[in-house]
Amino acid sequence: MPEIGTVRIRIPSRIRRGDVVRVRCLVIHPMEIVQRDKAGKPIEKNYHFINKVIMTYNAREVLQAETTQSMSENPFFSFAFKATEAGMLKITFLDTHGGKYEGTAEIKFS
Amino acid sequence: MRALGCLGVSAVLGAPGTALGQGNLGALQPEEKVDATLQRLFGSRPIKDGSGMIRLDMPLIAENGAVVPITIEVQSPMTPANYVRSVYIISDKNRRPMNAKFSLSPEIGAAVIGTNLRLGETTDVRAVVELNDGTLLMAKQEVKVTVGGCGG
Repeated sequence: MPEIGTVRIRIPSRIRRGDVVRVRCLVIHPMEIVQRDKAGKPIEKNYHFINKVIMTYNAREVLQAETTQSMSENPFFSFAFKATEAGMLKITFLDTHGGKYEGTAEIKFS
Repeated sequence: MRALGCLGVSAVLGAPGTALGQGNLGALQPEEKVDATLQRLFGSRPIKDGSGMIRLDMPLIAENGAVVPITIEVQSPMTPANYVRSVYIISDKNRRPMNAKFSLSPEIGAAVIGTNLRLGETTDVRAVVELNDGTLLMAKQEVKVTVGGCGG
């Protein structure tokens, strides 16, 4: 079992300049759901889940997401992006416990 | 179930000493009916039918509510003059209907978003799309959930 925060990013193996391509990413994370006591009242605690996803392309922010516990465990996302220049695509996941997990993919043109 | 019970007891014991702000229940999306969610997010702004422009790709029947794949594709040129600014995923019957908000920029070239949702029970799932001129569009689809995927 990979540890929390392992990020996997996949992009197509061949990209041409100007293509709109799909990037798929997955992060290993429990995405804790709200627990309830016997009376059905939610328990107050710092639930551990990813609440922000940021995608940058050569350090420019191109997409941001606010996520909740309604995302499945080990959340998966797929986004589009337009490959206009060679460089680095980075996806950062932030969680409610201050965790920061990053994955990068290098954009090269064939 | 037993594990959950234990956690419940320990949390109750810990509660008096726990300072406010230790937990983040208040920071979660509120538990509410979907009408309240729409009212809170969009106020009285009109939401138009966007089923011609928004393609929702998700299963009609989800055996496991813990992982329900969804893909939202909005037909938009994604130019700086005309693009999709945000996409909201809202599940009517989830206790906290507001699931996710994606803020897009024209640079991504296409408004396509895929993810996996947790659904508590059979529910309508809505995608509400906000264009850069402020227009709101919505498409929805019902998903039948055999085994619920969230306790929260």
